[in-house]
Amino acid sequence: MDTSTIISIKELPPEENMLPGTAACAGCGGLLTLRYCLKALGDKIIIVNAAGCFTLLTIYPFSPFRNSWLYTAMACAPAGAQGVRDALDILIKKGKLDPEENLKVVVLSGDGSAYDMALSSTSGAIYRNLDFYYICYDNEAYGNTGFQHSGASPFGSRTGTTPPGKEVPVGSQLQKKNLFDIWNSHKPPYIATVSPAYPVDLMNKFKKAEQFKGPKLFISHIPCPPGWGFDPSRSVRLAKLSVETGLWPLKESVHGEVEHTYVPKRFKPVEEYLKEQERFSHLFKPVRQEDALKSIQEMVDEYWKKHEFLP
Amino acid sequence: MLRLRFHGRGGQGAKVASRVLGTAAFLDGYNAQDFPLYGAERRGAPITAFTRISRDDIMERGLVSDPDIVIVMDETLLLDPQAMPLSGLKIGGIVFVNTPLSPLETKEEYGIEDHVVTLDITKVSLDMIGKPVLSSLAAGVASRIAGIGEGALKGALEKELSGIISDREILGKNTDAALHCYNALVPVQVKTAETIRERDNVITLPFEIARVSSPAINATGNTPLRKTGNWRVFRPVWNYDICTRCMTCVARCPEGCIRLNEDGYPYADYDNCKGCLVCAEECPVKAITKVREIHSRSEEGDR
Repeated sequence: MDTSTIISIKELPPEENMLPGTAACAGCGGLLTLRYCLKALGDKIIIVNAAGCFTLLTIYPFSPFRNSWLYTAMACAPAGAQGVRDALDILIKKGKLDPEENLKVVVLSGDGSAYDMALSSTSGAIYRNLDFYYICYDNEAYGNTGFQHSGASPFGSRTGTTPPGKEVPVGSQLQKKNLFDIWNSHKPPYIATVSPAYPVDLMNKFKKAEQFKGPKLFISHIPCPPGWGFDPSRSVRLAKLSVETGLWPLKESVHGEVEHTYVPKRFKPVEEYLKEQERFSHLFKPVRQEDALKSIQEMVDEYWKKHEFLP
Repeated sequence: MLRLRFHGRGGQGAKVASRVLGTAAFLDGYNAQDFPLYGAERRGAPITAFTRISRDDIMERGLVSDPDIVIVMDETLLLDPQAMPLSGLKIGGIVFVNTPLSPLETKEEYGIEDHVVTLDITKVSLDMIGKPVLSSLAAGVASRIAGIGEGALKGALEKELSGIISDREILGKNTDAALHCYNALVPVQVKTAETIRERDNVITLPFEIARVSSPAINATGNTPLRKTGNWRVFRPVWNYDICTRCMTCVARCPEGCIRLNEDGYPYADYDNCKGCLVCAEECPVKAITKVREIHSRSEEGDR
């Protein structure tokens, strides 16, 4: 791949490595992320797909991909990737596969798998310095089975298993896990957060990751129209708002050194992002839950203060 | 006993419709069952829901494979081999189709032999609620066809919807729309024989070894054959007088189904565009408008 950086969406590669006609919801933010990722990765890849929404992209006898695809259970996609990588290496060593024909191994998983169930196998794969790409599409809940709470669900959100009620009007009381830092503590060569609203940033991160051998990890925060409760046409707008409010920092880490790749000039109040979604509507109606809204804003401010982008 | 089957798309409200109907029947003094069947749960995917209504005890369990009444909430499902809404329908049964066509036109268009009732409930929903959410409206038409009283329907809507919709105003609009649909239909007599229409599309597969029978896909990139274009309620239409060829819509389409013509202007692959309208929302010069999709009409403005 040409590793020079691009500056506008007009320079996105025109090839589509994922075709339309999938079962993904209309306006799926994850599908948009995946489309960009596959533009960056090309078709010489093998996708190892952990169970999740994207399992349904490939349903017999149809596949939207131009590349190979392997389906694993939620907890073991990185282990599956190790198997695929080993098989490719053995075939090359035995002379049965031309090194030119070598394929990139890509894990594709949702947040349920990446944040919760596959955490140990992911940790193992990074520890073994497995040469693979890991793409996590994070819609902040188990979206495939009815939007139940996951380790990625943010404080204050309504999920299938944390409905706001009389006792707990705020919905989820837990904070989102910081998967970026969990991964970063393993010191893999490359980690990045990406967003479908910033495809140029996403593309350049893949170009940068290309030079490293070892685990390369990408977490994408993605809007989920049915789970979050908004009109599908607002998908990109919400992805943009999550970045512009400071809730989803776009950053990368090279061998453990973190750098932000995009910092909004002026942070929008988080309320602008929250109020557009049904899953946060209980924070505004019938009574405004001031404490909850304040603590979400404070959490965001603290993050940016820590990184000295806010006084 | 009356057996009903609802066919809708994920997000349209087939499950809630069957639930409201079941409750309405119960409030009207019947015994009732209602339950959905999800395949892979997804917006736009075919969803089925069932209701059984009887004066006697209902001892029957499981899916309804031989319905007396079929409610088709999305007419494109009539041609969908995954959904097959008419399969197993009893002779003399009633098919409700959500379409702007008349019953006669619908019979001809889709080759249906049974008693067809039609109403464009998507239009009613857009006009009265503002969104293409059809649960209460489908419950309204189903209640009318099943012969449930208006009072019972009202009670069921209040009981079932108040748990899902927190906004009283939207709940009121849903109730009004449901009653509008209820009253827009002429009552019909459901008189079905116990015989089922023969269908020849069931294939018995022989037992094969795992290598043959396991679902390995050997073709690449063949999902466009599934033509998800029939998910749309609105289609994006470009105004090339305003379009600046900035590529934003091409880049932002989650499906990747916006292409460029010889002059560099974008157009949608309507066979697969799901109508999410991210393109219209993101277009910096507002060159894309949304146009109501009516699937049974000839596709005007198609390129």
